Amino acid sequence: MRAVDIFIQQILNGLSIASVITLIAVGVTLIFGLTGIINFAHGEFLMIGGIVTWLAVSAGLSFPLAVVLAILAVGLMGYVLERGIFRFTLERPTNGFIVSLGLIVVLQHVVVLFWNPNQKSIPRPLTTVWDVGGVRIASVRVMVILITVAVVALSFRMITTSRYGRALRASVEDRDTAALMGIPVRRYITGVFVLGSALAGLGGALLIALFPITPFIGGTMVMKGFAVALIGGLGNIYGAVAAGLILGIVEGFSAGYGFSQWTDAYSFVLMILVLLFRPHGLFGGTSGPRMAS
Amino acid sequence: MSPILEIRGLSKQFGGVAALAGVDLAVEEGEILGVVGPNGSGKTTLFNVVTGVHRPNAGSVSFRGRDITGSAPHAISRAGIGYTFQQAMAFAGLSMLENVQIAGEHVRAGANANTPWPTPQALLDFVGLTALADEKAGVLPFGSLRLLGLALALATQPALLLLDEPAAGLNDRETTALVGLVRQLPGHGITVCVIDHDMKLMQMLCRRLAVLDFGSKIADGPTEAVLADPKVLEVYLGGDL
Amino acid sequence: MSEGSTPQGKHPTHSVAPALRSLVPVLVVLTLIALVPLLSPSNRFLSLAISAGINVIALYGLSVLFGQTGILSMGHAALVGVGAYTAAILARDFGVGFWLALPVAALTSAVFAMIVGIPSLRVGGHHFVIMTFAFGQLLAIVLTNGGDYTGAATGLDMVGPVNLFGADMGDLTRYYLMVVAFVAVAAVASWAIINSSYGRTLRAIRENEKLAASLGINVGRHKIGAFVVSGVFAGISGVLLANFLGHISPTQFASFPSIYLALMVMIGGARLITGPLAGGILVAFLPEVLNLDPVQSRIVYGVCLIAVILLLPDGLIAGIAAFVRKVFTAKSKERQRQENGVVSNPSEARR
Repeated sequence: MRAVDIFIQQILNGLSIASVITLIAVGVTLIFGLTGIINFAHGEFLMIGGIVTWLAVSAGLSFPLAVVLAILAVGLMGYVLERGIFRFTLERPTNGFIVSLGLIVVLQHVVVLFWNPNQKSIPRPLTTVWDVGGVRIASVRVMVILITVAVVALSFRMITTSRYGRALRASVEDRDTAALMGIPVRRYITGVFVLGSALAGLGGALLIALFPITPFIGGTMVMKGFAVALIGGLGNIYGAVAAGLILGIVEGFSAGYGFSQWTDAYSFVLMILVLLFRPHGLFGGTSGPRMAS
Repeated sequence: MSPILEIRGLSKQFGGVAALAGVDLAVEEGEILGVVGPNGSGKTTLFNVVTGVHRPNAGSVSFRGRDITGSAPHAISRAGIGYTFQQAMAFAGLSMLENVQIAGEHVRAGANANTPWPTPQALLDFVGLTALADEKAGVLPFGSLRLLGLALALATQPALLLLDEPAAGLNDRETTALVGLVRQLPGHGITVCVIDHDMKLMQMLCRRLAVLDFGSKIADGPTEAVLADPKVLEVYLGGDL
Repeated sequence: MSEGSTPQGKHPTHSVAPALRSLVPVLVVLTLIALVPLLSPSNRFLSLAISAGINVIALYGLSVLFGQTGILSMGHAALVGVGAYTAAILARDFGVGFWLALPVAALTSAVFAMIVGIPSLRVGGHHFVIMTFAFGQLLAIVLTNGGDYTGAATGLDMVGPVNLFGADMGDLTRYYLMVVAFVAVAAVASWAIINSSYGRTLRAIRENEKLAASLGINVGRHKIGAFVVSGVFAGISGVLLANFLGHISPTQFASFPSIYLALMVMIGGARLITGPLAGGILVAFLPEVLNLDPVQSRIVYGVCLIAVILLLPDGLIAGIAAFVRKVFTAKSKERQRQENGVVSNPSEARR
């Protein structure tokens, strides 16, 4: 195989994983932008999306149906957790963060309790491998990338053009003023939690289509999600997507050239460097909602 | 005698909007100077630039002949400039006494280093809060919080005290008490600069006023003369005061 | 103290007595714990207690950082790891023993804390906690990729016995007593910090950074200082851990152990001197007491943490104390009411 073929293939691999990370990053960045809560349990939301997909496929359902189930289940979970727990931490976002640490532990081990800590995998939903002039392209990776692009584009459209999106952006900009203008900010917070969770559910479903997962996959994934969100500028969705793209290329590059054992380090190093020189990220972000402190 | 604080050509822009457009101002030792102006005239920006919260785009601030432009907030305090904020604040979880003790613990060769300085208790006594010394600052009513803020600033042994809207939110009785306290300060070797838009308060406190409007100084002189200045009248009659 | 007697802001350390009183419960509990070997406990109990004690030492560092300064770190286990690896590498390459390893590891962890702290605090605010998390993960990755030097994923064996005045501390009971002594030192050190003017400065930063800066406090430097102090505690905890376990590996010091440390200190209550002790003991022994397997106990910890944060934001101990106070005052009020009732309503009293 020619070097350029390996290169293209690795970039594709990198981008497919980066797609999943971008789905997380969009979720955490939206939730942070509106509530100031750093929700570390978002990685566990993703993991549960993967587990639901695994359960559904194991029960004989088709992959597309399993994806829908994962999105619905994790979206519902986001709703329940926001209404039941995070709502009470809105005045002190630090508490929201700490609560999310507790949730990580609970969600992980509830999954382990019921379905053991071992790796779980599903048969690849798409097995075709295209050969394009010597470059082998796995269709499942292309599927993951295309679904992500479509979903993220749709979310963008919603946020940039719809009435609700405008109100949402106004709320991210200044929660109190938005509330004064009659925007039901509380309801938007719930909505964003549900949307973010649903994206994580989708991410989990796509992830298990690529790789086997364990109940402990969430930590690394959420950390990368936050790295991407911070590199792009926390609260800035465009930034998150752009940074996801950058990370995908960097990770793919490194795997293709024999540094795969360092792959997990790049996102963190990149994040630390970016934050040192541009504390608000490459594309500018918010520092969270203004608190009445 | 050279002024204790000298501001020259101070400019500060926020995204193309000039909050300060080349302000010159001198605070003379031992006076109580008032800086007035309607909302948005640049008063708080001036305060923030002098206290090191914002870096100016141009101009300089010197304190007792030393250039302090762009110094960090804590360095400004250590140089001998005490300041209180528009929003009254204290360390809510700590007792009043602890609050004042902390304020006195980070003094570095301050302006008044050679003079004996009142103890934290004496400072609480000065602002009339001795009875509440062991209460947590978080439970204080607003008026007492302002007085505590004054005690905190005084504990840093300032030679110059900057007060940003010190009477905001106070009732008439509390304002009178505050005015009584501030008036005593020059007698203890502390120069005062008050930033406010409340003309009644300024008339009670200051013999000299400087007026800001749209980031520029439009008047500076004895209080009566400034208040009779047609330019000032126009700003204030047209303004939201 | 009379007016004008202390010109340079040097305040006598007043009210030492009530401050000392806060230390008493900790010392009493530790004394009782030190007497436990008289009951000839099982090895399992001793091992659990030793791990708990080693955690508690690290938790005292975390309580200075989080409880006093208000800085939340998700990289504390990484600092413990720096201490543990320092001890193991020193022992392997230079034959350095336990007692010399202690100060060296404390220093190494402190330096590492500074290296992490300076950029993390520069970023500041909400991002800080994510930075510390990332540094923790990075450390685990570096240790895993460190080849023979760090033992890669399998980690390192700790060689060499621990001696104290010629006595071998390898014996479980002796090691237990030594760890209890270290916990006592950590508690007293943490108490001394809390009750010094330095501790007061840290609390001022926790309460209001802007105001603190206006009073001449160099906020950035003190925050890094608190981070370094927490590193010293973590480093010592790491040396004890490496010597106790005899083998260390990267996953022990990644971000999940850090989460558990944060969880312990918050369940106990980060601001109180009793908090770290209570949190460390509770988390270690709760599964034993309730007869839970590790998975179930993790779920219980998580639920506990969420419940504590939502219901008792000052931690379990402070929450219990407040509850006891409330019950007590309610009772005394009731008694008062009854007594009053007796006086004002003699007919009922006669019945």
